[in-house]
Amino acid sequence: MSTLSLPPRSRWSQFNWPRGLVVTLTLLAIFTPLSLILFQSFLNAPFFSPVKELGLDSYRFIFEDPDFRQAFWNGLILASGLAGIAVPLGALLAFLMIRTDLPGRSWIEPMLLVPIFVSPMVMGFGYVVSMGPVGFYTLWVKQMTGVEPWNIYSFFSIVVIAGLTHVPHVYLYSSAALKSLGSDVEEAARVAGASPFQVAIHVSLPMIMPALAFAGVLVFFLGFEVFGLVLVLGDPEGHLVLATYLYKLTNKLGTPSYHLMAAAAVCLVAVTMPLVMVQRWLLKSANKYVSIKGKGSRQKPLPLGKWKWLAFAVLAAWLIFTIVLPLSGIVLRAFVSYWGEGVKLADVITLQHFKDILEQPSLMRGIFNTVLIGIIGGGLAVMCYAGIALAMHRKPDGITRLLDYSVLVPRAVPGLLAGLSFLWVFLFVPSWLESGLKGFDNAFCVWLIENFIPQLRALRSTIFSVWIAYSVVWMAYGLRLISAAMLQVGPELEEAARAVGASRGQVTRDVTLPLVKFGLLGAWLMVFLIFEREYSTGVYLLSPGTEVIGALIVSLWAGGSVDLVAALSFINITLVAIGLGLALRFGVKLSH
Amino acid sequence: MSELSVQNLTLEYGSGATANPILKGVSMNLQRGEVVALLGPSGSGKTTLLRAVAGLESPKTGTITLGERAIFDGSKGLEVPAEQRNLGLVFQSYALWPHKNVFDNVAYGLKLRKLGSSEINDKVRDVLGQLGLGHLGERFPHQLSGGQQQRVAIARALVYNPPVILLDEPLSNLDAKLREEARAFLRELIVRLNLSALMVTHDQGEAMAISDRILLLNNGVIEQQGTPQSMYETPNTLFTAEFMGSNNKLKGKIIQRNGDTATISVNGEQLKATVRGKDIGEEATAIIRLEKVRITDSHAENAIKLPLTTCMYLGDRWECLFGHAEGGLRAYSPFKLNQGEYYLQMDADKLWLY
Repeated sequence: MSTLSLPPRSRWSQFNWPRGLVVTLTLLAIFTPLSLILFQSFLNAPFFSPVKELGLDSYRFIFEDPDFRQAFWNGLILASGLAGIAVPLGALLAFLMIRTDLPGRSWIEPMLLVPIFVSPMVMGFGYVVSMGPVGFYTLWVKQMTGVEPWNIYSFFSIVVIAGLTHVPHVYLYSSAALKSLGSDVEEAARVAGASPFQVAIHVSLPMIMPALAFAGVLVFFLGFEVFGLVLVLGDPEGHLVLATYLYKLTNKLGTPSYHLMAAAAVCLVAVTMPLVMVQRWLLKSANKYVSIKGKGSRQKPLPLGKWKWLAFAVLAAWLIFTIVLPLSGIVLRAFVSYWGEGVKLADVITLQHFKDILEQPSLMRGIFNTVLIGIIGGGLAVMCYAGIALAMHRKPDGITRLLDYSVLVPRAVPGLLAGLSFLWVFLFVPSWLESGLKGFDNAFCVWLIENFIPQLRALRSTIFSVWIAYSVVWMAYGLRLISAAMLQVGPELEEAARAVGASRGQVTRDVTLPLVKFGLLGAWLMVFLIFEREYSTGVYLLSPGTEVIGALIVSLWAGGSVDLVAALSFINITLVAIGLGLALRFGVKLSH
Repeated sequence: MSELSVQNLTLEYGSGATANPILKGVSMNLQRGEVVALLGPSGSGKTTLLRAVAGLESPKTGTITLGERAIFDGSKGLEVPAEQRNLGLVFQSYALWPHKNVFDNVAYGLKLRKLGSSEINDKVRDVLGQLGLGHLGERFPHQLSGGQQQRVAIARALVYNPPVILLDEPLSNLDAKLREEARAFLRELIVRLNLSALMVTHDQGEAMAISDRILLLNNGVIEQQGTPQSMYETPNTLFTAEFMGSNNKLKGKIIQRNGDTATISVNGEQLKATVRGKDIGEEATAIIRLEKVRITDSHAENAIKLPLTTCMYLGDRWECLFGHAEGGLRAYSPFKLNQGEYYLQMDADKLWLY
């Protein structure tokens, strides 16, 4: 019997064309908008104005602006306060949930994740209608006690609210670390004579320190990016952070002051970029720590004894404050015609706000677009992310390292900025291409000017522009979901396919992708959730045709239409709840 | 005719200042119908060599030739990708694809070779039958026992008749009892199908039982190669002697040497021995296999007198310990010995000096 040989291959299959294409498109999508921001920040006028010069004028302007300095300090205080509240509470929560016999753990677990997937804009609005000066709960407490119980518009309140709503982020990372920590290291300590409490203090918590450090930097970073909460809660007393400062700059000088916004954006990214790099470094060292974990086996929960109900009360108070109060406020507000002191609930209940939405085509389009971008856009985004992940999958070379760092870059760019920079891409690139092509006098260039460039311009007012901005903003997140799934595929399964004669593409098609199928479906659901939640990225791209609920809420809030904001928020929460329900039903891992 | 030839292969992980050399110039040949075992301790480079032949590691210099066809040549920058080498590879973990059933696992290599479906069906049924898996085609890997999974992995590697089959620790994932059966099965299969195979193992018993020739690797170079008998009975170096078999090791001083024979002094006792090491000084190490030590209770030639420490029951015989740690000796006895002093006789041609 003779050896069966493979069919001959063409010379061209030597070069990995699909990978080259993926890498080029990814780098273009990441760096075109960013370089545009950088370029714009060094001009002294918007890039489309006829008179403009290179210079540092815009930086000079914002550095001399007291609002900018105030916003920067506020951001720093907010981020530190947020981390100071979220890290200890999140670690405590994780320990209680994972290691102790706290009552009701099984139904509390999914509730903990709600604040992560509800848009902060909606959250902020929820606090205004439930605990603001004329909020439901404020008025009820006032009726009972006769005094104004709290002021949620003070900067202190904003920090507390931001801190409490970011506890789940810390919880996710520390609970994952606690779960992967084998029980044998704890059992070793118990056998050596340590009480359960001493085990926690001396073994469990020190061993998850790297995860806690990572979570700390993560929430500090998120605190620096906070936009929606401060936009809603900081407005009445004029508290600004960098993101809201940027948003207000839009109209500071009457004309679009793109050069100033770009300069503020560069300052913001200059802070967030190092934070993202520190996160990456910490995550790597955290993983190193986890790899020396013990064997994972079933473990007996630690009995809390008499502290059980105290711990439960603390947890319940947190749940009420961060979930029940704001969300119930929104639900109530969505179904009442108005609200104020002395109004009886039964008199004002109505469905009018939802009827109003039905009558406004732009709002209906927004809802439709939001669903569309979540389901179809989410699926497309997962495909793109899978393509990028495959381009990096088990190919430890320079290109993989380049991509690895590049995909982190959009993460450092807050959504608001990313939306702005994509707006500029759609405004700037077609006209730049046009003026470039005008120089040539052949038929192809004329054809391009007549057919391709108008198409490119038209993209700006389609939902595609929002989709690409969303996909780039969430690229690092989506890639982490997918590469986590891909790393589950043992390298020898792929090597075995190569050994029997499968080319790179065949290995991907026949082995890797079928094995990560469920991971990809899970990623789709997660991307659906974050695309429903997203609000800031669409703000600057908002135009007839590109409406999404998140951006509509921001713009309607600015216009003061509280009724419509309440109804849209309700719809948004419903969409998120459906996605979250599906995720829990199918056992998708929510922590990544 | 040489089916597989490796010449002066070097390979390192990392590059520049942090380069970690794994293979430092390895040469070997595999004849048609021959089974060669790559034997060595962990970290000796045996698996790396196998993976380099398969095309899953990139060597730095040297050549690998498959029959007439060069598949790697460091000086010409030639490196044929793994999928175009037409080799069969059996993984230590078997690496069966969990989403394909047994039939599809085996058939995949034939599908890639664009065979018709009836031909694929015949060939797969044929190879599954040869491996005693005929009835399991529809099962998925997780529904099989460890031994069955191993056979599927072998079937998958054999189905397209590769010129050489590579086996990476094929028996190490089986439990002890099953391993002996699988060893016999594998040897029988190799002989029956007249396969040319290169097998990695860290177990010298396995290597001697299955292979026609053993290559002993140590720290990235070939320490010694030869038939299992020559490796076991005439080891050229201390490393080989210690790696193959169970040994007693004695430190001593050479007091008289005459060609290949010498007299050494061990703890004041004089013993005649055979010089096997190449450059041997005054201080020498003497090695003798456990089964070559004879125990007597009366005075004997070329022997050391030691008190019995304890006896361990091994089932078919006893292993007895004499003396203490350093300078102690072990030997086999067919029955349990009584406490007391014994003479441990070591024939001069079985006591090797290095």
